[in-house]
Amino acid sequence: MELLWTISATLLLCSLLSILWKEFDRRRNRNCYLLDYVCYKPSDDRKLSTELCSDVIARNKRLSVSDYKFLLKVVVNSGISEETYGPRSIIEGREECPTHDDCVDEVDDCMHRTLDELFLRTGISPIDVDVLVVNVSMFAPSPSLTSRIINRYRMREDVNTFSLAGMGCSASPIAIDLVNNIFKTRKRTLAVVVTSESIAPNWYCGTDKSMMLGNCLFRSGGCSFMLTNDPSLKHRAKMSLKCLVRAHLGADDDAYSCAIQREDAEGRVGFHLSKSLPKAAVLAFAENLQRLAPKVLPVGELALYVLRGLRHRLWRSKEARTDAATAARVNFKSGVDHFCLHTGGAAVIDAVGRALGLTKYDVEPARMTLHRWGNTSVSSLWYVLGYMEAKKRLRRKDRVLMLSFGAGFKCNSCLWEVLRDLNDGGAWEDCIRAYPQQTLVNPFMEKFGWVKEA
Amino acid sequence: MTGAPLPLFSSSVKLKYVKRGYQHLVDNFVTFLSIPVMVAVGLELARRGPQEIVGLWRALELDVIHILCSVFVIVFVATVYLMSRPRPVYLVDYACYKPPSNCRVPFSAFMEHTRLINSDEKSVQFQMRILERSGLGEETCLPPANHYIPPRPTMEASRAEAQLVIFSAIDDLIRKTGLKPKDIDILVVNCSLFSPTPSLSAMIINKYKLRSNIRSFNLSGMGCSAGLISIDLARDLLQVHPGSNALVISTEIITPNYYAGNQRSMLLPNCLFRMGAAAILLSNRRRDARRAKYRLVHVVRTHKGADDRAYRCVYEEEDAEGHTGISLSKDLMAIAGEALKSNITTIGPLVLPMSEQLLFFFSLVARKLINPKRKPYIPDFKQAFEHFCIHAGGRAVIDELQKNLELSAEHVEASRMTLHRFGNTSSSSLWYELNYIESKGRMRRGDRVWQIGFGSGFKCNSAVWKCLRTVKTPVDGPWSDCIHRYPVHIPEVVKL
Repeated sequence: MELLWTISATLLLCSLLSILWKEFDRRRNRNCYLLDYVCYKPSDDRKLSTELCSDVIARNKRLSVSDYKFLLKVVVNSGISEETYGPRSIIEGREECPTHDDCVDEVDDCMHRTLDELFLRTGISPIDVDVLVVNVSMFAPSPSLTSRIINRYRMREDVNTFSLAGMGCSASPIAIDLVNNIFKTRKRTLAVVVTSESIAPNWYCGTDKSMMLGNCLFRSGGCSFMLTNDPSLKHRAKMSLKCLVRAHLGADDDAYSCAIQREDAEGRVGFHLSKSLPKAAVLAFAENLQRLAPKVLPVGELALYVLRGLRHRLWRSKEARTDAATAARVNFKSGVDHFCLHTGGAAVIDAVGRALGLTKYDVEPARMTLHRWGNTSVSSLWYVLGYMEAKKRLRRKDRVLMLSFGAGFKCNSCLWEVLRDLNDGGAWEDCIRAYPQQTLVNPFMEKFGWVKEA
Repeated sequence: MTGAPLPLFSSSVKLKYVKRGYQHLVDNFVTFLSIPVMVAVGLELARRGPQEIVGLWRALELDVIHILCSVFVIVFVATVYLMSRPRPVYLVDYACYKPPSNCRVPFSAFMEHTRLINSDEKSVQFQMRILERSGLGEETCLPPANHYIPPRPTMEASRAEAQLVIFSAIDDLIRKTGLKPKDIDILVVNCSLFSPTPSLSAMIINKYKLRSNIRSFNLSGMGCSAGLISIDLARDLLQVHPGSNALVISTEIITPNYYAGNQRSMLLPNCLFRMGAAAILLSNRRRDARRAKYRLVHVVRTHKGADDRAYRCVYEEEDAEGHTGISLSKDLMAIAGEALKSNITTIGPLVLPMSEQLLFFFSLVARKLINPKRKPYIPDFKQAFEHFCIHAGGRAVIDELQKNLELSAEHVEASRMTLHRFGNTSSSSLWYELNYIESKGRMRRGDRVWQIGFGSGFKCNSAVWKCLRTVKTPVDGPWSDCIHRYPVHIPEVVKL
């Protein structure tokens, strides 16, 4: 009957249209856009010069002369400049007994400054925030840091907050992963993420060498950024998240215990970095790249990689002298234009650069960030990104890879696509003209040059 | 001749039954509408007679193609509808940590230790008074480090406690569910007052050799209501990843948080917090639907942090002597009540039957337009839930909620008995309470459970679960050896 046909056809058409619309709507709302980010710039009275570092180290009467020399050597060779920042409690001589207020003030200063500026720049009110994530690895007071932010900015009652702690130096991609997953379940959501690290409560005042490196290398820093999945805000967004890969090697005992917070023989708490850390890092890195490569590289490069691997395997006798690594190397630069490397230290940056086949130009942002800001732990990726933006390197359709390592042992990475030409100076505004610095040698090398002989 | 006075008819009419009738009418409105329609159609068909009906059918001229197409369209539309619904999240099973009896802290031991550690007699007396009125029993447990005089809150001892409680709970869960560690896709851990680096989630990944592509999150500092925050996060992740399961660990580590000072507002946690942990297995796999105990229906989170009074009511700070502790303000009960009201405002429309919602709406209108002094109508949540798990934060919290929600003694029995047997185990207390209800054989298929957690911030979080299969006693859990002794009568004051 005609009527039946018409009804059936209409119903079918409606169903098809509704499926298509649902799929389209889902895809529209699946994207994670970075609206803006603000890196923390502490006040100048918190700068830690090498001389000040030397004084602070000397205050620890338990250290022997050889320990003192060792630490000074670490500071001098670290590639860190005189412009990095430390917490007030250390500069004012209270490093061994920081009060609870010292620790809270340190984190508050970072959160408030960066969030004030973030809300100002984006023009979005705190009332509109739907999700709030804070990750500070080594300090988790009650009420949580997220509650502190809600109280200060008078956010709504139904804000979904998450306070991540203990997740190490690579927690920034973890926070992004959390928000990204939430975005896939809700429409038109706005998320604010604050990443920072707390140094004041974690100063090590003992004599175990493996625990003293943290004292020398970590510096104050932080970043707040705003993410959304609202397609109507896409035109204001800076970048769009393409993929995220997390690799956790905690199942391996050596990897788990290579960077661990514990007590030393005398009962003092410190952050122990063991000699097996580089090996754990390499394994985690390889695991991450294995899963990242298919998502990031163009098909051509992947095909070439497979072919090279096959050729190496089949003609093994002829190619015996060829280095296995170079035979199987993948050119990440075919799929990624800029690399934000975690500024764990000069050695880490160089090692990762070599492994990925990067040039001096590619690792420059990371080296310069280490020089200007030190190892700011979780937020270091954002300072590196800030350098690239201040240098006007980020152009539309460029792809940026963020790569970081952290205790656990984890290696986390995420790939962003730049949505428009970026040129904000941000935290680098006042000093970007001085970069890149030709020499990263510590100016006090002469004065403390005698440590080199030790 | 004076007879007995006439009885008051208004009270004998038994308004209760009127209300019952009204509830039935409104709740089953659609049914009440459809019955007359069906009766009418049935009468019409009966009037026509079978021959006429067959004749009508033939007149439609349907052939196989038409029928197939119609069936196809119906099936297609049904599939689209079913696929577009959010994935259900099932609670396969959960396990709670049962502390060994050598960790017990009976009142006598607690007071003796307190006297030896603390030289201030007033503080000792204050703690004794708290303990007397606390509603705790003699079998609550503290971790080994707290049994030293003075307690030894080292990081090593804290990690040891974490390993003890968490691994025991997970081992128990693995035994009950046959879960393979390599199968775990998502791991969420919440522990408010202890967050070492690497995190507790990394510690679990290390011990059980979990996969390297696991999605792990470690929440900290989020207070006693963090257990439901972890459930919320696990639910969001399970919505995004089909065919996955999630392991949620809720615990509080007591060792590093002993307060060594004398400020009264900070002494309460020492008296009330006890060891505990819960491991929960959530899944969205269809095959787990058959063996799952509960299905997650709603999670509602309310954060009152924007209000300064609420924000400061549970606050970690240093006292005058430099000892760090968590101070609880005197406003705690009032603030808990207000936070609950906010939470109810959101959850009410989701769970209350239409009859209650309409009553609440009419009472609101009446208050606004007719008489502002009229008592607000408190929706009858007993209509929406069969069981209540209220965070065993303290006797006063349970009393306050019982009053606010107009619950009977049986409804809050699980909370009171958990407080008595296990103390305030923070975020895991809700799971001990649920286990109590199951152990008492009260959990039937179709029952709805409301878990309410409160915590620093100030937060009030709720989760609603629906029971999928009747839980048979005896239940393997922390109550298995003592459920026969419960419920016990808990006096107002236990004289020490």
